[in-house]
Amino acid sequence: MTAALIAEGAGDTVAPAARRSWAWLGLLPFFGFIGLFLVVPAISVFTKSLVDADGNFGFDALTNAFTGDNRDAFAFSIKLSALSALIGVVIGGLLAYAAATARRPKFLRSLVTAFSGVAANLGGIPLAFMFVALLGRQGLGTKLLDGLGYDLYGSGFQLDTIWGFATVYSYFNIPLMVLITLPAIDGLQTSWREACANLGGTSLTYWRRVGLPVLAPSLLGGYLLLFANSFSAFATASAMTQQSAIVPLRIQFYFRGDISSGQEQLGFSLAAWMIIIMIVCMGIYWMLRKRAERWQA
Amino acid sequence: MIPTSADDQLVVLEEELEPSSTPTVSGALEPVGRQRRRTSRIGPTIVLVACALFFVLPMVATARFALQNVPMVNLGWSTVFDRWTLRPILDVLGEDQFRTTVVLSLKLACLTVLFTQLLLLPTTLWVHLRLPKVRPLIEFLTVLPYVIPPIALVAGILVIKPSVPWFLNSDYSLIPFYAVLALPFTYRALDAGIGALDVKTLVDASRSLGAGWGTTLARVMIPNLRSAIVASSFLTATVVLGEYTIASVLLKETFPTFMAQYGEGHGQGGMALALLALLATTALLALLTILTRRRGVAAQSATVF
Repeated sequence: MTAALIAEGAGDTVAPAARRSWAWLGLLPFFGFIGLFLVVPAISVFTKSLVDADGNFGFDALTNAFTGDNRDAFAFSIKLSALSALIGVVIGGLLAYAAATARRPKFLRSLVTAFSGVAANLGGIPLAFMFVALLGRQGLGTKLLDGLGYDLYGSGFQLDTIWGFATVYSYFNIPLMVLITLPAIDGLQTSWREACANLGGTSLTYWRRVGLPVLAPSLLGGYLLLFANSFSAFATASAMTQQSAIVPLRIQFYFRGDISSGQEQLGFSLAAWMIIIMIVCMGIYWMLRKRAERWQA
Repeated sequence: MIPTSADDQLVVLEEELEPSSTPTVSGALEPVGRQRRRTSRIGPTIVLVACALFFVLPMVATARFALQNVPMVNLGWSTVFDRWTLRPILDVLGEDQFRTTVVLSLKLACLTVLFTQLLLLPTTLWVHLRLPKVRPLIEFLTVLPYVIPPIALVAGILVIKPSVPWFLNSDYSLIPFYAVLALPFTYRALDAGIGALDVKTLVDASRSLGAGWGTTLARVMIPNLRSAIVASSFLTATVVLGEYTIASVLLKETFPTFMAQYGEGHGQGGMALALLALLATTALLALLTILTRRRGVAAQSATVF
């Protein structure tokens, strides 16, 4: 790859028009890489869900993805992601605000951002184990709460219920929200608050009429991003439950071992729907993001 | 320092490098009376303390759980800090599978880093030098992995598996897919690093002194981009060392799949592995922060957004 690039750069003396057409060649390795290892697999998912084993084209598999257990999985996944995203946006937003406005320990803000950078990437198996250690049936937190007279599991909590998942997902959702809202909070100008006060507005007026409307695109965008983040989480969930209650786990259910379940087309349909949902969420996210940047120059 | 992130969705890891961004909001509280300010700090303090607990307690619990020597039934207030043991960690370290999976994961991490740098460094440089117009397109392509989650990507890989079994049967076939997963992080880190340099002038200077393209790349670009390269390499490594989805569906035995499998049979052993993974990840990212800080260039993104 490097060799191709260097060899091509040697053609410096070529006329400008010709050089431009040559310059594209330098991107071939990259385009080939993206094509082979990302676009081809993604498109295969769609072709597999549209064409059945006999080679007939149809939308049956895509619609069948919304029946029976799979429909339940979609309903649960959407509810779970909506709840996790809401928790992440509210707590992450408050945490970002608290970190941005705190002035006493000078290192607080950098501590919060540095830690968020680590925790936002902490998903996966270790995260699931950490919460089993804390809130599992034999977990330390469970036992200690019991010692205080509070029976956590007696109150209906379980790690593989919606609240359990949402608690664990918050561990990476909250830091992600902190990272994406900090710039937006920094964009709030002192002068706006002063102007608001001069016009007789209270703190409440300021937030209702100025602060929140300015932050709204960031918060909404953050909500979609966290929704997508929770919706696609696989590793963490798979270590927390034996059932296939959420969509990513349903997909894996069809492909366990090697393809042979005879129903793999359903698995591909679920994957296709998942990509569609991600495209919608991320698409709106990028649009909102552009809007939010207006105040962050 | 790079004129960051208004338009490229970078989140800078080390905000203290940009002191200018901090005071804006704290200043917002200035005109308010002293008494008022004190009461308004109570809410944020509660939020900060509660969040600190939420993030630290699972780590503490994991450490205690992994290293405890008290029968699980007796675990409670009276025995919280009682007896300790390194047994679970030593047991895990003695497992053959532990060694083989860690070695495989480390190899994959190194090779993915190498693959990514060989592919992305020339591409990104090339785009900055010759094709600035296609930057938005490249940027769009590099965030695509976010739209196609690993579990959907691996479903697609299973489709093509029958056509290229010789490739996908090898453990090393994971490398390009891991490079894809890390792409949003790596591209942004390199792109920001290159954007902070006056690449054109550097290249012209080097060329006019008689250096060929190879020399320019090796002796001018790479030394100047050291922290961007280090940052993107570390981020790639953390992605590879923690990736579970693709490896587990393709039945590869990497460190994360070993952890999941071992944890099912050995509760404490699983916690010990989680603790090791946690420490390794934190160490990697802390090292990254230190390395890039010494260079005096803003540290690169820990997330794409």
